[in-house]
Amino acid sequence: MKLVSNLLESMTGIHIFYVAGLLIFLTLFVVIVIRTMRRPSAEMNEIKESILIDNDSEESMIS
Amino acid sequence: MENQKFYYDNKIVKLFILATIIWGVVAVLVGVLIAMQLAFPAFNFGLEYTSFGRVRPIHTNAVIFAFVGNAIFAGVYYSMQKLLKARMFSDVLSKVHFWGWQLIIVLAAVTFALGITTSKEYAELEWPIDILVAVIWVVFGWNMIGTIVKRRVQHIYAAIWWYLATFLGIAILHIVNSFELPISLFKSYSIYAGAQDAVVQWWYGHNAVAFFLTTPFLGLMYYFLPKAANRPIYSYRLSIIHFWSLIFLYMWAGPHHLLYQALPEWVQALGVTFSIMLIAPSWGGMINGLLTLRGAWDRVRDSAALKFLVVAVTAYGLSTFEGPMMSLRNVNMITHFTDWTIAHTHIAGMAWNGGIVFGMLYFLVPKLFRTKIYSEKLANAHFWIATLSILVYAIPLYWSAVTQWLMLKEYTPEGFLAYPIFLETLTQILPMYTLRIISGVMFLTGFLLMVYNMFKTMAAGEMEANEASEAPALVLQGARNPVKETVHRWMERRAVRFSIWVFVALFIGGAVQIIPMVFIKSNVPTIAAVTPYTPLELEGRDIYIKEGCYTCHSQQIRPFRWETDRYGEYSKIGEFVYDHPYLWGSRRTGPDLARTGYVNGPMYKNAAWHYQHFMDPQAMNEKSIMPRYDWFARRKVNLDMTPAKIRAMQTLGVPYPEGFDEEAVDDLIWQAEQIAADLKNSGIDIEPTSHMVAMIAYLHKLGGDIETQATPIIEETPNTENHEAGE
Repeated sequence: MKLVSNLLESMTGIHIFYVAGLLIFLTLFVVIVIRTMRRPSAEMNEIKESILIDNDSEESMIS
Repeated sequence: MENQKFYYDNKIVKLFILATIIWGVVAVLVGVLIAMQLAFPAFNFGLEYTSFGRVRPIHTNAVIFAFVGNAIFAGVYYSMQKLLKARMFSDVLSKVHFWGWQLIIVLAAVTFALGITTSKEYAELEWPIDILVAVIWVVFGWNMIGTIVKRRVQHIYAAIWWYLATFLGIAILHIVNSFELPISLFKSYSIYAGAQDAVVQWWYGHNAVAFFLTTPFLGLMYYFLPKAANRPIYSYRLSIIHFWSLIFLYMWAGPHHLLYQALPEWVQALGVTFSIMLIAPSWGGMINGLLTLRGAWDRVRDSAALKFLVVAVTAYGLSTFEGPMMSLRNVNMITHFTDWTIAHTHIAGMAWNGGIVFGMLYFLVPKLFRTKIYSEKLANAHFWIATLSILVYAIPLYWSAVTQWLMLKEYTPEGFLAYPIFLETLTQILPMYTLRIISGVMFLTGFLLMVYNMFKTMAAGEMEANEASEAPALVLQGARNPVKETVHRWMERRAVRFSIWVFVALFIGGAVQIIPMVFIKSNVPTIAAVTPYTPLELEGRDIYIKEGCYTCHSQQIRPFRWETDRYGEYSKIGEFVYDHPYLWGSRRTGPDLARTGYVNGPMYKNAAWHYQHFMDPQAMNEKSIMPRYDWFARRKVNLDMTPAKIRAMQTLGVPYPEGFDEEAVDDLIWQAEQIAADLKNSGIDIEPTSHMVAMIAYLHKLGGDIETQATPIIEETPNTENHEAGE
């Protein structure tokens, strides 16, 4: 632990960490968006409609 | 495959609904009380237990953890069972969760009224209750994950992802922010100091908004909005992108609560950058919610539940645009420390959280009790009163914020502050505080209409405590087929792996801020002239915390001319290295107190002035809205605790000499007698060990250390490389 705390205490240039974080996020974001958009529509529709197929949907509120 | 018969546990849902309704009324009622106290100080009733500083945390905690918390659990327990086609994992855990949470709420209310608080906003509970919160939260998570494990559906729907993120997010936040060193059953000190404590606290505070007031509500939106509209969510693809982006980005944005304050530049830049980026995923959620109603807007006209849900989602969009705008530096200089922030939080709280809760209740209660709502007219009346009350709340407070900010920065042609007395700016906005009371009464009226409507609905119907259902048993699909299944689709049926990735996404944002601030010493330069608090000053500081003075007074002067002219030299990071906890505050209902000990500064007042001001602020200025603190003259400092406090500070790294704890009481009495003698010269007779003397000692310490420097202040950076470069 002492080794770790010594390393952390002497660390400099911390300001670049958030720029690195930003780049990591943007990279992951692009990957997730591309992969998600490529998912078949039929699969997406099946999932999102699944919660309505339980005989529990609300009609009583709506006159 | 043959169906399995099972029973949904509706009783636990009903209990949480009742708790939501009861605590909701209490929370709003207390909110109206503190609104009245801010406009008319007589409503502090001259009692320590009902003074604003002690009651304000009761309001915020009651709204967040009692009203909103119980509503989250009601919605989660109902929707999880339905989505997973399984009864909750354990009835015992459900009951322990429910009663444990109610116990926490009661303990919170009692301890805050007694002045037992850590002073950290939305995390004011003292350490034994913190531990209880952690235990009950684990019970909730255990029950939730157990239910996911024994589910009868392959796929885990998006709403449950948000519930998992809520559980993990709050667990991380609560544990990290609650590291305290106890000195007794009701008193502890934060292990973090000054700027470090501020970063940890606002990492917590900002993300408590994220993971208690946003993520669970997005989960509820993903379930109840499609159910109430009887239409699927607009885009499941968007829900995936929205989910991962939001939980990753939120954790980074906390430092936007500390702009222009004594914090390293990189931390502030981090907060601003990620706050602006948060607009995208937040609006992804809003768009997904509103477009769910595409082609079904006619249903909104006829359903109070949908009306509330639509206003909620719209307010979510507005608030998540306003929040990032408030994190821009030039906007933040206006919004921070003024009523703008209060308006912002109430739009989010009343419209987004309130709207989802009310929409959910108007949907859920008739369904649970297998009847129609007792009166759709009353529900609509509630909707319009509540919506109008939000406008009556927000508009005056925005007005108030801009008015006060303009007055605070106004200069005469000769170059002097046009309104040098803070109270002048406050008096100007008091009519807005009266409007806030009206708004609170309106919101409460609407709420009471709902309470009546709900109880009539419950009386008209009948709830089945154990509702029968059936579904085939789950056969786990096993390993992923890369051809048929994407990684995310695979993760959506693997709860543990999904949770691990959620944890990783949450952990990164927190670690990037907390670890460097706590460990890298170059982030917190020290000032040689700054000395630890004397035992008497430390006791005074604890009284300041106990009375909640930080709820109205900041101790942080930003580097603006209109602040340094009014309050004195701007605050430096090295001034707070012995502050466990930090007390920078977040709203100035009264003036900043960071330099009340700077004898030649504009904020210095002598001991007799402080005495008279605490005894009767209105006698000093009839327009003051500060409560009286005449019990300061009667209450005595508990000297038995003083040595333990010094030892605790030594443990936390405050450089008192070895064995100073044994001399602490003598030191305290010596200093107290000096102040008492000073007061005696002004004709005031007071016991040296009274709270009054300790408070005066503390106020005379604040910001005074840097005054002793004849030369400009040199901040010492204990970084080896920097020292070497300097040499």
